[in-house]
Amino acid sequence: MVEGVSNVAARIVEETAKCGIKLVASLPDTWISDLIEAFDKDERFIHVPVNREESAIGLCSGAFFSGTGALALMGASGFMTCVYALTKINYTYQIPLLLLVTLRGGLGDRAKYHVSNGLYLKPLMDSISMPYTIVDSPEKVSVISTAYAHSRVISRPVVVGFTRGVLRGER
Amino acid sequence: MKLRECFEYIAGRWKSELVILSAGNCSEMWWEVTRDSERAFYLEASMSLASMFGAGIALGVPRTPVWVFSGDGAFCMNPGMLMVERQMNLPNLKHFLVSNRCYGSTYEARLPNASANDYASMARAMGIERVYRFDSLDALKRDFASAVAQPGHVFTVLEVEPVGKKLEEPPMDGPEMKYRFGRYIERLAGVRIFDGSLF
Repeated sequence: MVEGVSNVAARIVEETAKCGIKLVASLPDTWISDLIEAFDKDERFIHVPVNREESAIGLCSGAFFSGTGALALMGASGFMTCVYALTKINYTYQIPLLLLVTLRGGLGDRAKYHVSNGLYLKPLMDSISMPYTIVDSPEKVSVISTAYAHSRVISRPVVVGFTRGVLRGER
Repeated sequence: MKLRECFEYIAGRWKSELVILSAGNCSEMWWEVTRDSERAFYLEASMSLASMFGAGIALGVPRTPVWVFSGDGAFCMNPGMLMVERQMNLPNLKHFLVSNRCYGSTYEARLPNASANDYASMARAMGIERVYRFDSLDALKRDFASAVAQPGHVFTVLEVEPVGKKLEEPPMDGPEMKYRFGRYIERLAGVRIFDGSLF
């Protein structure tokens, strides 16, 4: 495990718990593997590994109707596959949802197969008027609570995007 | 069996269950039969996620049965939903697969591998223990109670004929449906869904 990663994961988990979120639905990305493990081991959460990212959108959107706070956790590639679910379910019915997403393909990402995410993820979010905020330092993790509250206020999804530096403990 | 007769029978046994309908024939036929706009959520603006949506509800209101009706067109887009359902194993989630072997809401366009798809076997292969398949109204009437009334996650395949015509869509806009359904759950289950002031 990269030094510092578990501290950031712990901060994210604590901030998520502060929101009153109970359900975490996830699909892995190497950058969030320890974060997913942290949610899985924390008894304050019900962690549900899902078969595809759209299932996380469906599950978390349904959870809203039981008064259960929910978080969808996924990589950038997975988020890119969710445009249909987000715009049809969450936009049509105005269902709030918090998403934590990796900013793959950004500065520092050495994976060539994530170049497209670096090019198109933010423009895609802009194109569907998806509110998002970037966490590029551990000190900004507290924005998770703000984003969660904002999603409830606007009755729409809000994305919190994490850089490699934050998730991998790199400067 | 005919979808209308099937839904009329099931709707006749509908008590306090929450109902989630997938896009197309499921939503439209349930609306035609029941005209309900509070206890049912017509997930017309989505394909393949009705059971996940229902699972999210069932998780948070464990004393309330949740009936989900998915079309097999939607199911084919995301059969892995059964893996998540099995993993969650929610005792109050009852998933009905309405199998008409076509894309019913798009003029009954062909479904891939339609005649050979064995949805019940797929569910069993994913470890779901209580799987039922009904291809006649008589069989449904005979075993409905044991299939649905008992606690435990259930996957039930309803083999129906294509409807053969376009049905009327439920007339509610998305936000109206959200508030009607959400307020009903608040009253039914005593949970708080809608925020007043957050902080």
